[in-house]
Amino acid sequence: MEKHDAKRRAFLVRAAAGAGAVAGAGLVPGAFAETQEQGKEANPSFPAATHAHMRGDHEKLGAFFNHADAATVAAFVERIMPGAPGKPGARDADVLNYIDLALAGPYADLQEFYRHGLTQLGAYCQEKYKKPFVQLPPAQQDEVLTALDQGKATGFVWPTAQAFFNTVRTHTMEGMFADPIYGGNKDFAGWELVGFPGAQLFYSPKDMDSKEAFSRAPTMGLQSALTKISLGPSNSPARKG
Amino acid sequence: MATQKTDVVIVGVGAAGGILAAELGKAGMKVIGLERGPRLTTSDFAPADELRYFQRQDLRPNYKRQPVTWRPNAGVRATPMTLLNYGNQAGGGTVHYGALSWRFHEDDFRVRSHTIERYGAKAIPADSSVADWPMTYADLEPFYDRAEYELGVSGKAGNLKGRKIDGGNIFEAPRQREYPLPALHPDQSGVLFNEGASKLGYHPFSSPRAILSQPYQDRPSCTYCGYCQAFGCHVGAKGSILVTKLPEADATGNFKLLTGTMVYRVNTDNSGRATGVSYYGPDGSENTVEAELVIIAPFIYDIVRLLMLSKTNKFPNGLANSSGHLGKHMMAHISARVFAAFDDRYVNIFMGPSAQKHTLDDFNADNFDHTGMNFMRGAQISVAPADAEAGPIGTAMSLVPPPGTPRWGAAYRDFAAKYFNRYAGIVAQTENLPYADQAIDLDPNVRDQYGLPAPRVTYDWRRPNELARIEFLYQKLEGIGHAMGATKVWRGNLSSGAPGSHHQGGARMGSDPKTSVVNRYSQSWDIPNLFLMGSATHPTMAGFNPTLTIQALAYMAADAIVNRYKKNPGALV
Repeated sequence: MEKHDAKRRAFLVRAAAGAGAVAGAGLVPGAFAETQEQGKEANPSFPAATHAHMRGDHEKLGAFFNHADAATVAAFVERIMPGAPGKPGARDADVLNYIDLALAGPYADLQEFYRHGLTQLGAYCQEKYKKPFVQLPPAQQDEVLTALDQGKATGFVWPTAQAFFNTVRTHTMEGMFADPIYGGNKDFAGWELVGFPGAQLFYSPKDMDSKEAFSRAPTMGLQSALTKISLGPSNSPARKG
Repeated sequence: MATQKTDVVIVGVGAAGGILAAELGKAGMKVIGLERGPRLTTSDFAPADELRYFQRQDLRPNYKRQPVTWRPNAGVRATPMTLLNYGNQAGGGTVHYGALSWRFHEDDFRVRSHTIERYGAKAIPADSSVADWPMTYADLEPFYDRAEYELGVSGKAGNLKGRKIDGGNIFEAPRQREYPLPALHPDQSGVLFNEGASKLGYHPFSSPRAILSQPYQDRPSCTYCGYCQAFGCHVGAKGSILVTKLPEADATGNFKLLTGTMVYRVNTDNSGRATGVSYYGPDGSENTVEAELVIIAPFIYDIVRLLMLSKTNKFPNGLANSSGHLGKHMMAHISARVFAAFDDRYVNIFMGPSAQKHTLDDFNADNFDHTGMNFMRGAQISVAPADAEAGPIGTAMSLVPPPGTPRWGAAYRDFAAKYFNRYAGIVAQTENLPYADQAIDLDPNVRDQYGLPAPRVTYDWRRPNELARIEFLYQKLEGIGHAMGATKVWRGNLSSGAPGSHHQGGARMGSDPKTSVVNRYSQSWDIPNLFLMGSATHPTMAGFNPTLTIQALAYMAADAIVNRYKKNPGALV
């Protein structure tokens, strides 16, 4: 762990803890847990109840986000794709987990983009509402998203408000609808929402001729699809070149 | 530092390079192919991984490592384009294309003459560099035929030797025989499009695609899984160069493919001949291939860049550029879209091959009377998913909600939930004209992962001719949507000035060495043992997807090299 990184995390943790903004994230980076364990650099006034919550049953280790950022992103993406009874949303699909894993790997070059974006988001909410984003009621969170989407939120330099919003929206859709192997679309939540049957290997003429929703086969993920292929006829000529 | 000698070196073994590798190898020529990316196999392609292949573009160049920059005009700094719609592996773009396989119309080969004959010279915008091809459709027809039969195109003829046939494209140029394979099975969007367009008196048909409707040449038929555009085919039913021409090239025993190699210079000698190419190996080493014949066949940007980077005292403006036209006259298709939503039925547009599914040609080329209109040429109009790919990520990115519905929040969620499998996209793919100032050069600021200057595009499609045509087409698209019985029809977003898909031009062919870069055989006017292949050579672009024309030109060049150039190397005229 880089010293700078540890300090940055501790700072964000204090900011989050001071605001009590930790509920519902379901994701705690290992470094944060360690810091709490050892009592180093942690805010001595850290509320015990919050601490207990964070060490609770549903705690998971994250790959990139610190706890406060995780909580903010979880709340943000839930406003982009809110869940409702029978309509799975971002939290149901575990979009946060998708973005967290992506930023630790394929989208590592967007880490600073997210850090700056979230810092600016926090500053904007403090300035306008005197509260962090996660503590705002949904209607005010939607006001914030609208201001970002329309480029009206003040104080954004890089990324711009619209660039930040658009990127988070894109990643929300990826987390909703990408195959579950990437960490989102939990239990096919996103595919269930829109009625997409997933990684079907074929559609029959009868499927194609139907005016009804597809129901011949269960929703399939890549791992089940790939299993099926490996059972099929030989399809693996030696790699060349 | 390694040096190899061979008869022929081919830079880029994609749609054109793969054909030349096979055909020249069969003629006994020793061929080395250089490919920037890997050589994948059918078993590499996971079906349905929309994140990897569509969203993250795993089979396309990575714009951060291999940037191509764009600016709308010469007054501003260019920034990297974030989607590079061409290949980055052996087989090139044919690995991940939608496999639309069109023959251009007869008048597509003589846009300038035809327009002047029918409407007068004033019908051509004064700033456009629209030009005739140095060949007619009839000259290319045997090679179109060969490409269709060797790659396996499914479709239905609409014009057999001049006889018009209902159900095929009655506007197509005359063909000598049927397609090798019957049309693909229509999905419901195709059925709706056929019904709606027919009601309006138009002539819809199943788009010809290099996707097997039946088993063919030891390849299995399509499974209709829906993952074509942006994806590799997991059964090998798509006529990608990987499963068609590269195995043929291998079988000759004369072909060697070097993957992970980046060509950075075409070498020439004092006599003005090309002597070969230099490339970086996968380990960063500098290597050379010496060859009697040098064929440059990557995408248009790398052709132009490579020739500019290869300048010498003898060729101070870059190779093959005595005309000064290298890099100029770039074109791209712009896609105007409307969306049609159906409350009373499902469409399931995610089933079946994913790019333009069914098409009508009534408003393409000069198939309709332009008298009194303030634009020339037209567009291919097709039914297709939102971004020619129908998975839920692509749909969430490209299916713009109708006016009044936001693009996030509960209302958006409900829109997506209701219409994901109850909509069809209708798209007009426009034949944008060439203009000399739509150009490719070297970016002075941005470099790629090899340290080479990035290609830079200066381009803005929003010309009066193009804007007027887009509005005309939008109205046609909306009419078709309503005729299909949609509950709701609305327009999608247009690109800002940036180029859309199927970029072409930059090394145009012509009849005159003073105004073109290559002759009809894709041979450099200046350096006879240098051939430039691919859509860079197209003087105009038609409203049709370009790949079959790229391939027909490759067969034509191969034929000329094998039957004439090989015996008597020199200018082909």
